[in-house]
Amino acid sequence: MKIAVLQFPGTNCALETLVAVKTVGMDGEIFRWNRPAGELSGFDGFIIPGGFSYQDRLRAGAIAAKEPVLSALKEEAGQGKPIIGICNGFQVLVESGLLPGSTGGCAGGKSNVDMALAQNVMVSGGKIVRRGYYCDWVHLRHEAPSRRSSGSFAIERGALLKIPIAHGEGNLVTASPGLIKELNENGQVVFRDCDKNGRIINEFPYNVNGSTESIAAICNEPGNVLGMMPHPERAFFAWQLPAFDPRKQRPDDPGPGRRVFDSMKRYIEVRA
Amino acid sequence: MSQKINLRVWLKIPDAEAATVKNTLIRRLGYGHILADVKKERLFSIEVDSGDPLELARSFAKELVNENKESHKVHIGDLVYEDDYVPVKVALHIEDGEAISVRERLRNRLGFANVMDVKKATVWKLYFKTLRPEAEIAAREIAEKLLINPHKDAYEILSH
Repeated sequence: MKIAVLQFPGTNCALETLVAVKTVGMDGEIFRWNRPAGELSGFDGFIIPGGFSYQDRLRAGAIAAKEPVLSALKEEAGQGKPIIGICNGFQVLVESGLLPGSTGGCAGGKSNVDMALAQNVMVSGGKIVRRGYYCDWVHLRHEAPSRRSSGSFAIERGALLKIPIAHGEGNLVTASPGLIKELNENGQVVFRDCDKNGRIINEFPYNVNGSTESIAAICNEPGNVLGMMPHPERAFFAWQLPAFDPRKQRPDDPGPGRRVFDSMKRYIEVRA
Repeated sequence: MSQKINLRVWLKIPDAEAATVKNTLIRRLGYGHILADVKKERLFSIEVDSGDPLELARSFAKELVNENKESHKVHIGDLVYEDDYVPVKVALHIEDGEAISVRERLRNRLGFANVMDVKKATVWKLYFKTLRPEAEIAAREIAEKLLINPHKDAYEILSH
């Protein structure tokens, strides 16, 4: 079971993501963007980690989305292999049209992109209180049934995960009419931001970036491609949790983010 | 009566973002046969309801342009671009937080009470090996394939 952790110029979470992959018992390696794209077919799953691919030039994920490895990744996605995009990886998947991959693009345009991850806009009490880059620990509620997506395959619906975020462009917006309704009806909304009790409160600081309906992660229709703004690899071990979290005192315990990588492994096992 | 002060700002040091866009268009999207070069400018369109626009433009430039690395040009009223490229203006069609911040800073922090509105855009200057109208058709294609995400950006081909 071999996972390719894709690395573009500016990706900066590849190493910790690879540690997470290996710790759950999968094999893996860092796959640099300039390797022959055809070599991707030798892998069982793929992760595009966080960072700032191409320094976020033009807009986050836009340049990486045009690389040949993304074309090859589309073919691998078509075969049902799992692909997880984390933070900048999510932005790359959206810009490449791999997520949500449902409408075939915006009407009237040449783009095959269904949505955008726009600049964060934090709203509270009807007022904009903050904009732009933000990092914090957030609570996520798993919205999809278990087995719905590759990255939450072994997570029960309603489960709460405490995972950090760190991004400036995670505000999911779309001009495609009916797309959000379709995502909800198809169970493609995988995680939403929530408070510590799991309540969805559509304003800051619970909705951390202004994302439509507090959406933090979505998957494609078949469920094998998942994109999420939070960083599960940064909450993989309990010792990574913040000082005020009592679980930090049990450093050998798994952290909540581990469930995403366990899910990917389970998804591949079941699919085999 | 209100007046519009347009401030065109560009880097006088190499622009890595423009170079990356050019590279992607030529190496990844196949425009090498038609595209010669890509340059980029920032555009601030500042609407004021009083004051000497040229004097105000000088003051705004002092605040918005870093002369150590940037150059600028002022146009009062209509924008005029050179003939040797196709200017593609890209701006957010959703709320532009940076433009709002600039407006608020000019008005509330820097005392320009006559500033009514600020709009911000990027103007991509696409230099083609071919002439219009072919160049303009290619510019539209490039805007839709790469320069914008239609769910948040809009583009406009500016006339000369």
